[in-house]
Amino acid sequence: MSTQVDDDLWSAIGDPTRRRMLDLLLSEGGGTATSLSERLPVTRQAVAKHLVVLDRVGLVHATAIGRERQFRVDPEQLARAVAQLADVGAAWDARLHRIRRIAEQIQRRADENGQQSTEKEQ
Amino acid sequence: MEHGTIERELHIDASPEVVFGVVSNPEHVREWWPDEAEYPPVPGGEGRIGFGDAAERTWVRFTVVDAVPHRLFSFRWTHADGEAAAPGNSMLVVFELEPAGSGTRLRMTESGFRERGWDEAKVAFEHADHVTGWDFYLPRLPGYAAQVAANA
Repeated sequence: MSTQVDDDLWSAIGDPTRRRMLDLLLSEGGGTATSLSERLPVTRQAVAKHLVVLDRVGLVHATAIGRERQFRVDPEQLARAVAQLADVGAAWDARLHRIRRIAEQIQRRADENGQQSTEKEQ
Repeated sequence: MEHGTIERELHIDASPEVVFGVVSNPEHVREWWPDEAEYPPVPGGEGRIGFGDAAERTWVRFTVVDAVPHRLFSFRWTHADGEAAAPGNSMLVVFELEPAGSGTRLRMTESGFRERGWDEAKVAFEHADHVTGWDFYLPRLPGYAAQVAANA
């Protein structure tokens, strides 16, 4: 099985400020650009830009609350990002397990044949 | 330099000669990975590996980088059609073999994931263990991964 890696998703999660924002949104159940900027050493404008990136890849969703937009983390999409990372490693574990099984089978067969031919010679 | 690497090491009760054949020969490779593999197992060998039923097979480019019998086999894959395999456009897989007792120590590394995407996502993954918020979501993953696998 080939494992597809979603570059955009990983890039979105790749920025430390955006990860900190995801943490805050998760621990507080949601937030606005203003509330997030109060907790982070960056401007509200910068937070708003990061929210656009997170929104574009579906890691957060917004609902309008008064004049501001309230953002929440999309758990399915976050799970997908983390699962992709785990999948690549798991796929190689499975392949290496099969490599070992095949190689050891070939070796056993070769050893048995070797013994048989040695026995014949004796 | 390429960042972001998966590394694995395992012992196999078979000689380096046998293990080298299994990791490099297309006849064997399709037993442990793709459904089809077509490439000359020599340095620079260009070819492809295919996934899925013959009717709707997805082909992925595959280029042998190095092949030193019984010691080293490396290849690049996933580069786009029309592009030569190179750092930045493909994943590099390296198998290193070393005699160990009566068997072989096999080391596999895969690198070349988009630098930031991979490195930072890995940090995020490790980071997840330390952040309360993430802990809530991590238990959901096994079920989700199974679902993804079922739909794949």
